[in-house]
Amino acid sequence: MPRSRDMKPRGRSEAMGRALTWLCGGALAFNLLLVIAILALLAWNGLGYFWQRDLMELDLRDGRKVLGEVWEVEKTAAVDRMRLKIGNRDVAGLDFAWIDGKDIARRSLPRHAVMLERLEWGNFYGTMAELKRGGKVIASGPDAVWKAFGPLHEKKREELAKIHELEQGGMSGSPAEDERLADRLTRMREQFSAETLVMLTADGEAKEMPVGTVVQALKPNELGWFAKLRVYGGRVWEFVSADPRESNTEGGIFPAIFGTVMMVFLMSFAVAPLGVLAALYLREYARQGFLVRLVRIAVNNLAGVPSIVFGMFGLGFFVYVLGGSIDRVFFPESLPAPTFGTGGILWASLTLALLTVPVVIVAAEEGLAAVPRIVREGSLALGATKFETIRRVVIPAAAPGILTGMILAMARAAGEVAPLMIVGMVKLAPALPVDGRPPFLHLERKFMHLGFHIYDVGFQSPNVEATTPLVFATALLLILVVTLMNLVAIALRNHLRRKYAGSAV
Amino acid sequence: VAVAGAGRIGALLADEHRTHVATLDSSGVARVVRLADGKEVYASDVLQQTSPGPAPAVLTVLTAMAVPAQSRYFSAATSDGRVMLKKMDFTVTFQGSGRVVTPDVTPPVFLEVDPGYRPLGAFAAQVDEDGGATAAAILATGRLAVVRRAVELNEMTGETAEALSRAEIDVPGRVTAMVLDPAQRNLYAGTEGGDLLWWPLDGGRPGELKVAGAGAPVTALNLLLGGKSLAVGQGNGALSVWFAVRQTDDTQRLERIHEFPRQPGAVREIAPSQRDKSFLAVAGRQLGLYYSTADRTLWTGPAPLAGSTALFYTPKADGAYLAGGGQNGGQIAELDIHNPHPEVTLKSLFGKVWYEGYDQPAWVWQSSGASNDLEPKLSLVPLMAGTLKGTFYSLLLAIPLGVFGAMYTSQFMHPVYKRYLKPVIEIMASLPSVVLGFLAGLWLAPRIERAMPALLLGLAVLPLLVLLAGFLWNALPRAFRGRFPLGTEAILFVGVLALGVWLCMGLSRGFERLAFAGDFKAWLLGATSLGFDQRNAVVVGLAMGFAVIPIIFAIAEDAFSNVPQNLVAGSLALGANRWQTVTRVVLPTASPGIFSAVMIGFGRAVGETMIVLMATGNTPIMSWNPFNGFRTLSANIAVEIPEAPQGGSLYRTLFLAGLLLFVITFLLNTVAELVRQRLRERYSQL
Repeated sequence: MPRSRDMKPRGRSEAMGRALTWLCGGALAFNLLLVIAILALLAWNGLGYFWQRDLMELDLRDGRKVLGEVWEVEKTAAVDRMRLKIGNRDVAGLDFAWIDGKDIARRSLPRHAVMLERLEWGNFYGTMAELKRGGKVIASGPDAVWKAFGPLHEKKREELAKIHELEQGGMSGSPAEDERLADRLTRMREQFSAETLVMLTADGEAKEMPVGTVVQALKPNELGWFAKLRVYGGRVWEFVSADPRESNTEGGIFPAIFGTVMMVFLMSFAVAPLGVLAALYLREYARQGFLVRLVRIAVNNLAGVPSIVFGMFGLGFFVYVLGGSIDRVFFPESLPAPTFGTGGILWASLTLALLTVPVVIVAAEEGLAAVPRIVREGSLALGATKFETIRRVVIPAAAPGILTGMILAMARAAGEVAPLMIVGMVKLAPALPVDGRPPFLHLERKFMHLGFHIYDVGFQSPNVEATTPLVFATALLLILVVTLMNLVAIALRNHLRRKYAGSAV
Repeated sequence: VAVAGAGRIGALLADEHRTHVATLDSSGVARVVRLADGKEVYASDVLQQTSPGPAPAVLTVLTAMAVPAQSRYFSAATSDGRVMLKKMDFTVTFQGSGRVVTPDVTPPVFLEVDPGYRPLGAFAAQVDEDGGATAAAILATGRLAVVRRAVELNEMTGETAEALSRAEIDVPGRVTAMVLDPAQRNLYAGTEGGDLLWWPLDGGRPGELKVAGAGAPVTALNLLLGGKSLAVGQGNGALSVWFAVRQTDDTQRLERIHEFPRQPGAVREIAPSQRDKSFLAVAGRQLGLYYSTADRTLWTGPAPLAGSTALFYTPKADGAYLAGGGQNGGQIAELDIHNPHPEVTLKSLFGKVWYEGYDQPAWVWQSSGASNDLEPKLSLVPLMAGTLKGTFYSLLLAIPLGVFGAMYTSQFMHPVYKRYLKPVIEIMASLPSVVLGFLAGLWLAPRIERAMPALLLGLAVLPLLVLLAGFLWNALPRAFRGRFPLGTEAILFVGVLALGVWLCMGLSRGFERLAFAGDFKAWLLGATSLGFDQRNAVVVGLAMGFAVIPIIFAIAEDAFSNVPQNLVAGSLALGANRWQTVTRVVLPTASPGIFSAVMIGFGRAVGETMIVLMATGNTPIMSWNPFNGFRTLSANIAVEIPEAPQGGSLYRTLFLAGLLLFVITFLLNTVAELVRQRLRERYSQL
């Protein structure tokens, strides 16, 4: 006998409902899993970038020897292989190599294995053989060289710093002095490269290099946990404070951090008055009617406009129209080379200000709306004018809300890349937008940006495999900054809500 | 401008800056006239500077003259069986602030086409930079002769050696017009009978003749920029563009590709642009400007001179010169042409266009190429298709996860969990898309490539695992379960799912062997003939889906949570269980909110740039294969706008793409916002 849907036994429908509920819960759980997985992935790879791994020497069955850091081990039923960072780009050409497990005859962690971080050509892995001065051997054998290398290396680093200082000083103007300076530089450079270090690769090939070009020398296999942690800390510091080397693939990312921070600050200066005043007007002054409703829809719409469209607007209006006019009026002498008529940090910040203004308006409006009527009416009753009430009572009370909006806007701006790609970012800026030369703040300069750094190094560099770890570190830093800002904003907002939750009666 | 003393001007050209015109008339005099004051700055009789073999019996004159396509040469056929080529270029030097243009000419070169020194009929000639030249002409006997002068440079001595070769063949019909391509590899001719003849040339030797019927007698013939498209003018006023198309039997044949409106009279002259695929044509008393790719008549008007004899389109495509006038000719008229964006029409942006070298009309985006004679292909259709494809696959992931996750959070979870969940979702929303794109492109894509079977397996295994875990949770004693707030099982599911993912990865190989004969990619290609790119729509779907989930989640959660409690309470009081209440009462009430959540998520996915840029190969192809890459409107803008010159066609087309994006998102967001406002009003009434 056919049963109608409604006559289904209650138990079955209930079980069905419960199963579907679980599936919904599964959907939620999957979202959470994705967030956790992404954060964990970034943290693991980003933090692992700075960790000094042991140097493993592999004797291969065909007689070759390989020395390097083990980065990845793949061991399943079908494949057994490991990925080794073998460095020595000037000798082997590749930074990484996959080694099949069946080819390995012997593994060892040689004590004398040395890792050199170099100014050029990336890392070197090998053993120290000789130290020479002007062609004459002054130390030989791993231990002796290591002992002599330490103090000498320190001296060379000092010399290098001095050379850089002199080079940065520039020309003084008088030819005689310039010549003396040039002479001195030449002599210093000669002296700088007088001592050379001879290294042996695992295969026994010798490689000679000036001591001064070594950034850091380590014997990873002799380092204890504590020493490794110190190396780790040093690397993190270098990463956030040093200039990039080897076209961004090594060294630090300080200019990118600086550029991002400065752009975000410039943007805040532009977006704060714009957003807050708009919110004040919409909430406090405007008559709530059709027009205000239209404006609200427009603001919400603005938030949904693709960021690349803002970038195009920035390019078409700020760069070409505004920048072009500024060039014609103020910098006609340098035309046709553009000064402001090309992408720069000012236009980038203004573009992002437009992009983030809805965020500020919405949050500031929410903050203003949360200020209880009683407070306003109290102020008005005491004889304050509307303007005084807003200035002295409403705005201070709504400050956390406005601040929330600002922080959210800054976080959004810090992570946005697409519009900046077309209004002023470059992979390698020759100078920071701030320096010691008047007018000190160079708004027309191009700048580096963390997000663009990720895109550029990760996708445009010739040796993607070698640079991916660095990109992970950059991505982690960016995520940390953005997430922290967001958490602060969320905390502020919750605080605000709790504060007025009771008093809004 | 009247050129003093000139007879019938048969060919003319001008310099880049349009300060001078060079003319060649039938008496064999080449002149250069300064346009500013009409002064003659150069004149030479090309026929006097030669000494042909036997003395000509009659006075030699030029019977036909032309400027070979894309060259700075005069070419002419003589009445004594020779073809002349004379370089007629201009050099520009700067003196102070002024620009001085001087003619840069060489003595003429003659190629003997007819050893009998009889007058030639229709002819065509071309010369390359090294001086290698080819001339083809119809002899008095009606046969076709092709003469090639090959010049070989000896690398060691720097000396050049010349070699002449000659071939003579029969021609079907009387040839009225002929043209050679700049590479000297193809010879085209039109006959009085209305046939187009095409010979491939191999070292000056004509190959197999191919004939295509065009109908009416061919009166004018010229090659457009690039040397592939043949503009054909006919006696009945038909004007069309032809090029070789590969046939089903793998041979090439000339086909009529673009057709223009019927002209008022026989087409007399066709002059191609040296900048793009546009050309000028004179037919009867009408002068017209046409653009080949877009089938577009840009302008027509009365020709300024009657009886036109030569037409030249200036090198910068900013003007034209027409020679003719009166009985004796000798007059030149100058025209300014302002033709900024001929390649952009509604049809070329959105319709199928038959491009050079294609077998059929197609939607193609290819804005720049290796050489500057590329035909720009600016169809937005593949980009729009790519945008839709990316959006589709990401919403496929984001809608179920976002909406059902939000439903669970708001309806089946204790508020304690909600307090912590919302910030997590907000963090998810704040993750910069460049980081997601990086992870998708460099971390996820290679792993998906290896573990595609695991992904497919996961689609089945993960829900089953969740159900299993839920069942087990339910089997626990109620007293134990009651100690935890509502919704704790979802937190447990996170671990279960992690376990499931690990399990799928482990089973991936075995599953691949079992279901896909050990190699998924080979199986895919064999079973469905779909290719597999590493950076494909699945990767984008996952990454962009991740970016869209929190947006959908937040708005949908709002909609669910704001459903008035009295409705829920009423439903439960009537005996419905929790699930029934949610599906029959809460879901229908909140559905407009969910609709607007999906709309806003859609808008976000449409405009997303960095993820698509990094996680796809950015190949503008049209296919719905989830394992192929694609290119979206937004990524296309990011890729191409730094290279697009301001104000150019590409720049403007990209801005049009931006406008398109803006309009789409604007509409979506407005609809979503209106729906949400209506919903809010309804809630307040309930």
